[in-house]
Amino acid sequence: MRHDLPAIVLFGAAALTPLVIRDGFLLDGLVLILLWGAVSGAWNVAGGYAGQVSLGHSAFFGLGAYSAALLATRFHRSPWLGLLVGALLATVAGLIIGYLSNRLKGPYFGLATIAFSQVLLIVASRWRGFTSGSEGIPVPFRPGFWTLGFSSKVPWVYLILALAVGIYLVARYLETSRPGYQLAGVREDEDAAEALGIPCRRLKVAAIAASAALTSVCGGLWAQYVGFVDPFYVFSVDLSIRFALNSIIGGIGTAVGPFVGSLLITSLETYLRATFSDFKAGLIGIYLIIYGCLLIVVVRFVPQGLVGWLGERLRAVGRYARA
Amino acid sequence: MGAVPQLVISTVLLGGIYALIAVGLTLIFGIMRVVNFAHGEFLMLGMYLAFWAFALWGLDPYVILVVAVPIFFGIGLLTYALVMRGVVKASHNVQIFTTVGLSTALQNAALVAFTGDFRFVRPWHSGVVIRLGEAAFNLSQVVAFAVAVLFTAALVAFMKWTRAGRIMRATAQDVEAATLMGIDTDRVYRLAWAIGLVCVGIAGVLMSPLYSVYPTAGLQFVLLAYVVVVLGGLGDMIGALLGSLIVAAVEVIGSYLFGSAWKEVIYFVLFIAVLVFRPAGLFGQRGAETLGA
Amino acid sequence: MLELESVTKRFGGLTAVKDVSLRAQAGEILGIIGPNGAGKTTLFNVISGFYAPDGGHVRLDGRDISGLAPHHVCGLGLTRTFQLVKPFGNLSVLDNVMIGALTRLRAVGAAREEARRVIATCRLEAFADSRARSLPIGLRKRLEVARALATRPRLLLLDEVMSGLNATELVEMIGILRRLHADGLGLIVIEHIMAAMMRLAQRIVVLHHGEKIAEGRPDEISRDPRVVDAYLGEEFVLADA
Repeated sequence: MRHDLPAIVLFGAAALTPLVIRDGFLLDGLVLILLWGAVSGAWNVAGGYAGQVSLGHSAFFGLGAYSAALLATRFHRSPWLGLLVGALLATVAGLIIGYLSNRLKGPYFGLATIAFSQVLLIVASRWRGFTSGSEGIPVPFRPGFWTLGFSSKVPWVYLILALAVGIYLVARYLETSRPGYQLAGVREDEDAAEALGIPCRRLKVAAIAASAALTSVCGGLWAQYVGFVDPFYVFSVDLSIRFALNSIIGGIGTAVGPFVGSLLITSLETYLRATFSDFKAGLIGIYLIIYGCLLIVVVRFVPQGLVGWLGERLRAVGRYARA
Repeated sequence: MGAVPQLVISTVLLGGIYALIAVGLTLIFGIMRVVNFAHGEFLMLGMYLAFWAFALWGLDPYVILVVAVPIFFGIGLLTYALVMRGVVKASHNVQIFTTVGLSTALQNAALVAFTGDFRFVRPWHSGVVIRLGEAAFNLSQVVAFAVAVLFTAALVAFMKWTRAGRIMRATAQDVEAATLMGIDTDRVYRLAWAIGLVCVGIAGVLMSPLYSVYPTAGLQFVLLAYVVVVLGGLGDMIGALLGSLIVAAVEVIGSYLFGSAWKEVIYFVLFIAVLVFRPAGLFGQRGAETLGA
Repeated sequence: MLELESVTKRFGGLTAVKDVSLRAQAGEILGIIGPNGAGKTTLFNVISGFYAPDGGHVRLDGRDISGLAPHHVCGLGLTRTFQLVKPFGNLSVLDNVMIGALTRLRAVGAAREEARRVIATCRLEAFADSRARSLPIGLRKRLEVARALATRPRLLLLDEVMSGLNATELVEMIGILRRLHADGLGLIVIEHIMAAMMRLAQRIVVLHHGEKIAEGRPDEISRDPRVVDAYLGEEFVLADA
C-alpha cells in the first residue's frame, strides 16, 4: 500500500480539484494531464513493462479516435460503442504487429512501429470516401451521458480520472502478478526467460495488444473531448514520441511514472501556451526542442526517471535515518 | 513498351540519390551499430542550407555543395561531442531516445527558425528537361545522380583502400580486437558519424531543386533509407547501392501503376516486410543478429 | 530418460555437432567434456530447443522434442543454464528465482515460498534481496542454478557452471549438485576441466570437433588414448583431482 502512496496523492488531488477550482481553463489542463498520463501509462505497458519500445503508438490512438468519430458521425452510434470497436481494432492491430515484429530488437522494433503508424496516416488522410481524407472529422456534440456530450469540464475530469486509475491499476497488476513477473523476465533477458519455461512471444504479443487496446480507448475519449480528429495529428510520429516522453521523464516501467511525467510536461506546455499565445506557432516549436533535449539528457543520466530517482533518494535517506 | 525507357532512367536517377542517403546511414550503422533516427533531419538541414544560400545570396546548390562538406563534417563533430559520444556502448533505450530526441529537437529548431512554410529551390537547371528517345528527365536529376555516384564511389574507395578506412572496417568487425590493437574506437565512431552526416547533408543539397523543403521533409526519406539499408544488409555499402536501385525501382514502377499518392504506402509496407522476413537483407548476413534474426 | 539419436547441427559450412548419439538415464549425473569448440554448448542448445537439429532426433521419455520451443521443453521437465550466465540483472535474487518457480506454480505467494526454499538449498539466503547485477561471478553461477532449479526440472542441464569459481565456491557447488542428485534429480553437466568432472559424474561423454569420441566411466575416460590425444598439450587438464 505504501507503494501506492504517490498515486493516491496524485489521483486524490485530481479528484478534489473540481470541488475547489471552477476555472474552465485550469480544469481543461487537468483533463489533459490525466489523459496524456493515461495514454503514456498505456504505452508503458508495452514500452516499460514488456521492454517493447514502440515509436508508433499513435497508430492505436488514431484507430481509437477514428472509431469513435466515425461511429458517431457515419453510423450514428454512441461513442461508447466507438470505444469498444476501437479497442477491438487496436487489439487486432497490436496482435499483428506484435507477432510480425517478435524477433526485432530495440530500435528495429521502433522503426517497424513508425512505419505502421505512417501507413495508417496515409490511409486515413487519403480515403476521402470513408474518413473524409485529409480534412479530418469533426465530432458532433450531442448532450447526454451516452453521447459523451458534457457541457462542463467536471464530468470529463472524473471520467478521465477513472480511465487513469484503471490504467494505473493495470500497471500495478503487472508488478504483482504471475504474468507480470514473467514479463519482467522477458524484458530482462529473453533467452533466459525462454529457458525457464516462459512463453516469451505469447507474453510480448499480449502486452502489445493490451497496450494497443488501452491506447485506443484513450484516443476515442480524446476525440470526443476535443471534438475534432485530424489524421496528421492523430497518427503523427510526434504524438508517439510524446507518449514515450512522459514515461521516460516520469519513470519508465513504474506505474505512477507516466502520470508524473505528464504532470510535468503537460503543465509546462499548457502554461507556455497560455502565457505566450501571441507567439504561438514559434513557441510550440521551442518547447518541443526542450522536450527533445530533455529526452536525450534524461534517458542517459536519469534512466529510471523522476519517480525512480526520487524513490532511490528516499530509500537512501531511510537507510541513513535507520543507521 | 514506351514507358520502359522512362521508368529505367527514372529508377537509375532516383537510385543514385537514395544511394547517397543510404550509404551514409549504412556507414553509421555498420560502424556504430546505432539506428540514427535523426538521419532525415540532417537531410532536411542540407535542403535548407541550399534554400537559404539560394534565397539570400542567389548561390546555386551545386556551388553550395563544396561548402556543405566541411559544414556537415563540423556539424557531425559537434553533435557527436554533445550527444552521441558514449551512445554506442549504452542501453537500447539510450540509443533509441538519444537520436529520437535529436530528431525532435532538430525538426522543431527548423520549425521555429524557418517556419513550416514549404520552400522551393528553383535554380536555372531545375527547369531544363533533357530528352533521350522517349524518356525525359530533369538536368537537376542528372547532376544529382552524377554527384551522388561520384561521392559514393569516393567513399567506397576510401573505406577500401585508405588506412583510415581499414581501421573503421576493422572496428566494425570486432570492437574488442580493434581496441586491443590500440585503435581509439571513439575516434572511429566520430569519424563514421561525421562522414555519414556529410553524405546525407550533401544529398539534401542535391535534392533541394527536386523536392519541397519543409521541417519534416526528412521523415519519409529516413524510413526509405532504412528500407534500403536493411535490404542491402546493414553496414554493407555495395548492398546499399543495390538496395537503392531496388527501392527506386519499386517507387518508380509503383507510382506508374498506382499513382504517386499510394507510393508511400508501398515502401512502408516493403519496409515492414523486409524487417520481418529478411532482416539479414537480400545479400548480406552481417548485422542480422543485431536485428534479432 | 533423454535420448539423442544421430544429432547433427550445421551453421553454413561448419558442422558444429556431427552424428552425436547418447543416453541419459533418470537420476544419473552425465558429464560432457571436450576441448573448446567441441560443440558442447551447441549440443545443449539443440537439446533445449534453442536450435532445431539438422539431422537426428532428441527424445525425452520417448517423446520426440526435436525443434520444440525452449519454453515448451522446460515445461516437459528439462531446464538448462547458460555458460555466460544470464541473470535478470535489475531484479532481486529472490525475484529471479521466483520467476523460475512461477513456471510450475500459478500463485505468486506459493512461488515466493518455493523460491525461498530453493535459495536456502543453494545457500543464497544472505543475498535474497540483493540485485542480481551486484553479485560477483561465483554467486551469479549459483543463482543461475537456483533459478533453473525452481522450475522443478527432472533433468537439469548445467553449462560450465563451475568455471570461474574459486576453490571454496567449487566445493560448495559440488556439494549442492551432489545433494540435488541424491534427491533424484538427473544432471547433465558440461565442463571444460576434467578434474571437476571426475568428482561428480557417473558417466562421461567426450566430444571433439562435434563428434563423440569416447564414452564411459571417469576412470576409463582418463586413460583413453583418444581422449588424451584430444587434450594434447593440456596434460594439466587430465590431472587427477
